[in-house]
Parts: sequence; C-alpha cells; structure tokens
Amino acid sequence: MSREPTSQSTRALSGVPRDPTSRRWVAQLHARHPRHDQAVAKLHDMLRRAALHELHRRRGQLPGLAGPELEDVAEQCANDAVINIIKKVDDFRGLSRFTTWAYKFAIFEVSAKVARHSWRHQPPGTEALTLERLPDALAARPGDQVERREQLETLTRAVADDLTPRQREVFVAVALNDVPIDVLALELQSNRNAIYKNLFDARRRLRASLAAAGYPIAEQEGR
Amino acid sequence: MTDLHAFDELLRAHDGDAGCDAGVPIMEEYVEMELRGQDPSTRFPGTTIHLRVCPGCRADHDGVLEAARRFGDVAPE
Repeated sequence: MSREPTSQSTRALSGVPRDPTSRRWVAQLHARHPRHDQAVAKLHDMLRRAALHELHRRRGQLPGLAGPELEDVAEQCANDAVINIIKKVDDFRGLSRFTTWAYKFAIFEVSAKVARHSWRHQPPGTEALTLERLPDALAARPGDQVERREQLETLTRAVADDLTPRQREVFVAVALNDVPIDVLALELQSNRNAIYKNLFDARRRLRASLAAAGYPIAEQEGR
Repeated sequence: MTDLHAFDELLRAHDGDAGCDAGVPIMEEYVEMELRGQDPSTRFPGTTIHLRVCPGCRADHDGVLEAARRFGDVAPE
C-alpha cells in the first residue's frame, strides 16, 4: 500500500489557523479563556447534532435503536468527541476549517459506537460464515457457464489452499458474507486497518492464483 | 463475455491504495478540498483509491463531508 502526504509533513507550511473563526475556536477552547465554557457548550451542541444526523444516516446498522436511544448515543458521541478535541486542540494547524476537523471526531465516535452496537447485537459467529457464498457473490451475471464454473472452482480452491488462515477468515467474512470490517475487527480484537490489510493481501493472492491458473483479471478503471 | 466485472469487484485490490490509517489524519483536508470544489485525488491519490474500496472509511468520509455541508462553519459565539 502507498503512503499519503501527511498533516505532519505539511504542518510547517501552515502554522496557525488562517481563518478567523477557526482561530477563535482554538483560543476559546483553552481552559483559561473567559469564554471557555460557552465555547465548549457550543461545540458540544454542534457535534451532538452532527452525530445524531450521522446515526440516522447509519440507522440500517442499528436495529432496535430509535428516538431517545439514538439521542442518547448522539450525546455520548458528542461528549467523547469534545473531550478528545479539547485534549488535541493544539494539534489543530488550520489545514481545514476548525469545524470540519471537529466533525471528524464526532463521525469517528459514531463509527466506533455503531460498530460496537452491531457487534454486541449481531456478532459474526464464524460457524455462520461460509465459503458457499462464493457463487452467490458472483451470481446473476451473464457469462459463459463452463468457463465461469471453472473460474469458480479455481477461486474456491485458492481460498482454501492459498490463503493464510487469517486471510481466509477475513475474506470469507467481509467479501463473501458482508460482515462490516469494523465489526469483524471487534470480533477478532483487531482494528480496521489490520483487517483491511488482511483483506487486501487475500484479494491480491487470489488474483495471482487465478492468473496462474489461466484466468487473469485486469483491474477495472474508475471503480 | 465472462464474469470479469464480478470477479474484479470481489477481488478489488488496487495498486496505490493508501489503506485505512493513512486517511485518518488527512480526512479534514480531503473533505475541505471537496468543499472548495477541488479534486483531492491530486493531493491524496492513495486515499481516493482507498475510499472507492473500503466501505468503513467511505462511510466516515461521507459522514464528515455531509456534516460539514449540512451544519457548516459554526462560530463559537
């Protein structure tokens, strides 16, 4: 996987926040500022509304949660986001508006809490995850049936024989059984990046196995 | 015609994918570029590739973008 230019590498170029609103947020969130409490309350309200909106956007992953319960979760997300922002306010270097940076904290809190809720209410039991979903994953597409069957057999063998146990577990869960990466990460006591790397490596290896068997798959552009 | 699209979809692993962690510290810059109508793929090509493939990171990105668009740049006073 490649690397991106990081905030760290651009900090020297940016210095303090450039826009006046962001500068006021940073100043007022410092504990000794006379408007500290009002700024914290305003930030909390802003992030609670953003978190509630995001929870509604992800409500498909929150079976059984509605109304006041969603508002409670939004409140928790805002609480945790505000604590983190106050802790890290001096890390903000004005590479975006302060509010865009702050929304990120709230959305990450929502993401983590949604994954934990899904995991608690519907943990991905490994006995339910099956390689038999492979034909389903490739179904309902036109194609030459004989060649398709051979490709499927090759792919099934490669999943069984060519992947490490962890790569197989992750590929079967995420790619074939639609288990969200964050939920699987909780189940395996891992994290999103590590699970994604397992999945990436598994896909690379399966592509190589298909190519070696005479079924090369070119990457489609713009996907 | 074979099921190349279906296989490609199932086995998506594109060169240059920056992975999940690379997008975390630059998420606000990435979103801010989009809000300004700029193309973030010029500065963060690996994250652009990653966001096409990783549903978790895409959901987070979409959430930040949606929040910034909907709730905007609020002042502290």
